[in-house]
Amino acid sequence: MANNKLILVVDDDPDLVEAISMKLESKNYRVSKAYDGIEAWDKIQEERPDLIILDVMMPRKDGYELCDELKNNPKYEDITIVLLTAVGSAVTSTRYTHQGGMSTLADDYIAKPIDLDKLMSMIDDFTGQS
Amino acid sequence: MALIEDQTYQPTILVIDDERRIREGCFKILKKENCLVEMAEDGETGLKMLAEKHYDIILTDLMMPGIGGMEVLAKVREQHPDSVSIVITGFATLEHSIEAMKKGAFDFIPKPFTPDQLRVVVSKAVKMTRTLQDIATERTRLKTIVNYLAGGVLVTDRSKNIILYNPALLRMLGYQGDSLNDQPLSALTTDEKLTGIIDGILELNTGEFKVLSAEIEPHERGEGPSNQLYLRAQAVPFQNRSGEILGSVTIIDDITHLKELDEMKSAFVSMVSHEIRSPLSTVLSQIKILMDGLAGELGAKQADILGKISRKVQGLVELSNELLDISRIEAGLIVQDKQQVQLMDILESLVEFIQPKAKEKNIALSLKKADLPLINADMKSMEEVFSNLITNAIIYTPEGGKIDVRGEVKGDFVGISVSDTGYGIAPDELPRIFERFYRAKTEKTRNIVGTGLGLPIVKSIIEAHNGTVKVESEEGVGSTFYVRLPI
Repeated sequence: MANNKLILVVDDDPDLVEAISMKLESKNYRVSKAYDGIEAWDKIQEERPDLIILDVMMPRKDGYELCDELKNNPKYEDITIVLLTAVGSAVTSTRYTHQGGMSTLADDYIAKPIDLDKLMSMIDDFTGQS
Repeated sequence: MALIEDQTYQPTILVIDDERRIREGCFKILKKENCLVEMAEDGETGLKMLAEKHYDIILTDLMMPGIGGMEVLAKVREQHPDSVSIVITGFATLEHSIEAMKKGAFDFIPKPFTPDQLRVVVSKAVKMTRTLQDIATERTRLKTIVNYLAGGVLVTDRSKNIILYNPALLRMLGYQGDSLNDQPLSALTTDEKLTGIIDGILELNTGEFKVLSAEIEPHERGEGPSNQLYLRAQAVPFQNRSGEILGSVTIIDDITHLKELDEMKSAFVSMVSHEIRSPLSTVLSQIKILMDGLAGELGAKQADILGKISRKVQGLVELSNELLDISRIEAGLIVQDKQQVQLMDILESLVEFIQPKAKEKNIALSLKKADLPLINADMKSMEEVFSNLITNAIIYTPEGGKIDVRGEVKGDFVGISVSDTGYGIAPDELPRIFERFYRAKTEKTRNIVGTGLGLPIVKSIIEAHNGTVKVESEEGVGSTFYVRLPI
């Protein structure tokens, strides 16, 4: 269990954090939780997660900002970041936008509403754990 | 012959002649014709009377001791441009008549004359008087309308001099200086957008008509940061009968209120986006946790009900997405990002992307490749249009069917068609399928979930690209959607 990857789930909706965490734990990941960008930053320094599932729209410090900070910091740049975007619009969530979304420094992103199975296979691919 | 057709109208006439016989002769004849006639025995008296009062018609002798007829004419033209002058001349030479006409006489009458000759000339003058009065009335009416319009009005001549404007215009542009009549446009404004459209109008060719509009740079109405004034100007040319551009007419509207509403709408839209969609997304994830048995084993009935809940919530999320899309499209936000687009490339990757869905239903989805010219369009919107049409075709086509997508050039347009071998649309429903929230329902399609906004979105996008979309369908045979977009 100790060798299992640590995933930090960050979203301002505790219910969503709980749902994602339950799914992750069912797949034997270790899970840490935070509810805004500042809290997430503290957790990252404390625990150094392997991967962060990061909501973009949050109070205090949003996901884009935190993502940029981490990816520009040599100490943390190797932590995988998957962004949760709220842009679930039919027009804007098409393939082209997806490519556009990759212009952020994040490693990947998934639009809300989240397909939990898709998110899990994305995480499995990054961590090499299954 | 009645001298005056409208008997309620009494023209005022001044007769200036040093010959008493003529003066009084005219007086008698015209009085009988329901005119208000006054007399002057020489030019000097005539001018005094003219200075005190307006006469509709002035009959004046040319040759008089002291002040002559020519001088009277010049004064009338200067002081009473709306009055009509007739010259009475004892030696009716062409030369004198022409000179009198040049000085502004409307007509002349040679001495000696018969009562009928006088009546004919005065009758013409009365008609002219009425016309001049109509023009004056029209001018007053126009001035009243223009002055009380809530919108700003600005009229310039061909060389960009201001010839008409109203108080609203000055208020909107914040002008507090002197009268602008016959002043150059630059005395009023240097706003590049406003002067730009006026220049554009004045540069039009003879016979050309165009409406140019622009939003004037917002400026502050007074103190305070939220006191911005947003103005929209629309300029048109005015032309003479042969179509020559004589000047420009610009109407300016205060659209601050619209802008404020628009901002409120945007705020509302993002409220909907975050406050409604986010919790719904969470609910979907929570249902998924329950269905995966991560919160305890689930009975078959419970799983079934959760599945139904999940589909309903999914429907709500889609509905809010599409409502956002349609409001964005209508606000013109989505099609602002136009670029040169190769539709065939979009179709190719879309068909590849959607192919798995077609395979699930054992439907043969194929794209007939063709060389299409580039069109100017918003890529995402185009993808949305054809994704909607192809996905719809899959949904409304029974297992084992066939869907063909093809593109071709038709004159100045690119035509794309999506045809299926689906359930088809009943003739009475055909005209309504592009209406918002309208969903064609038959026994076969009753269980298909949708928002009824897919086709309205397609239509809005295509129309925002100056294209057209239409459908042909036969029940039980299939439907074909045709999209035409200008090259």
